[in-house]
Amino acid sequence: MKFFYSPHACSMGIHVLLEEIGKPYERVRVNFAEAAQYKADYLAINPKSKVPAIQRDDGSVLTEFPAIAYFLARENPESGLLPATLEGEIRGLEMLEYMTATVHMRGYTRIFRAGNFTPNAADESKVIETGLGFVTKGFEILEPVLGAKPYLLGDHLTFADSGLFFLTHWAKFRADIAMPANIEAYLGRILERPAVRRVLEDEGLAG
Amino acid sequence: MKLYYAQGACSLGIHLLLNEVGAAFELVKMDMRTGDLKQPAFLAINPKGKVPALVLDDGAVITEWAAIACYIAATHPGHHLIPADPLAAAQTMEAVLTINGTIHIAGFSRILRPAAFAPNPEDKETVRNQGREQFLNGMQLIADLLGDKDYIMGAFSIADAALFYVTLWNNMIAKLDIPASINAHYARMVERPAVRQAMQAEGLA
Repeated sequence: MKFFYSPHACSMGIHVLLEEIGKPYERVRVNFAEAAQYKADYLAINPKSKVPAIQRDDGSVLTEFPAIAYFLARENPESGLLPATLEGEIRGLEMLEYMTATVHMRGYTRIFRAGNFTPNAADESKVIETGLGFVTKGFEILEPVLGAKPYLLGDHLTFADSGLFFLTHWAKFRADIAMPANIEAYLGRILERPAVRRVLEDEGLAG
Repeated sequence: MKLYYAQGACSLGIHLLLNEVGAAFELVKMDMRTGDLKQPAFLAINPKGKVPALVLDDGAVITEWAAIACYIAATHPGHHLIPADPLAAAQTMEAVLTINGTIHIAGFSRILRPAAFAPNPEDKETVRNQGREQFLNGMQLIADLLGDKDYIMGAFSIADAALFYVTLWNNMIAKLDIPASINAHYARMVERPAVRQAMQAEGLA
């Protein structure tokens, strides 16, 4: 299987799941600095020009973060990434969908790429402010969901944590956004995991 | 169960899925224009202030379109709203998320609410044009998946319910020149009793 990623993009959440699963895969960097995501080679993989994407050995490609995370969890039941109950699966999907479609796409994307929202450079600060509002509200909503549990769905890491990992890593290391106490502690905990350390090394983010 | 919805919003896709499986549910209408979604009574149900929200009989609330659709599919397995094979199931989710993320959020939201993107009113048309481009790109991706099949995954699935609501928005509001196969899909959908019933109940027929 091939895993298409860009360092410190949201693909780092899928990267963690692959390392937690521990089966061999090939990492393929899509060089955003050279706009490789808009070139023919990558458009053939994902015409939406986004990472993450995975390509299985039979050539089939899967895109969209929650779909990939859920697929990897289901395909690797021994990893424990799939919750044991239907309720856990639905709650995991609900969280991932909110984290990717709202907190990332409506929040962080405004902060990192304000120019995609307004054609006027002078208005970018307003766009960033709106984006910060979405991220801050996202953490407010997720804080009681996490509560005092070690991971989003309980005692162990599941596919849903792939989302909160990249959102919290961005808050601390990319956007300098304050997090509520439980979520801040969560980041500290997840950074201790050997799989997460390997991801940060591989993506050139180890401090 | 109770489905919190707004007339013709993306909640219509969930509404028709509940009809498809013959679920017993109550409809609770919210009016986006009068700020119903930001009232404390609704925020107590869904702090994100969005529809659809599905309240189960035990009081548990499920939000987010794809999560609700997966819940309906999983609790009504006889209707096969998601294929059993894990890859086909993931591809169904992928189609839903492309419709929600690219066609709805990146595309249609720019067309409908440009001021939520660019603060300067003079930029409205620029934002709308970006939205139209995203909307059409997303529609083309789905048309490629649909091919000459009746439904996106071959048999009717949650992805068709998602495609239906964005196609309705195109017919009513965006009025863009979308692929003929998508319009044919829409015509096929409105022939389904569950879809017609949902449209009537929302006053869209």
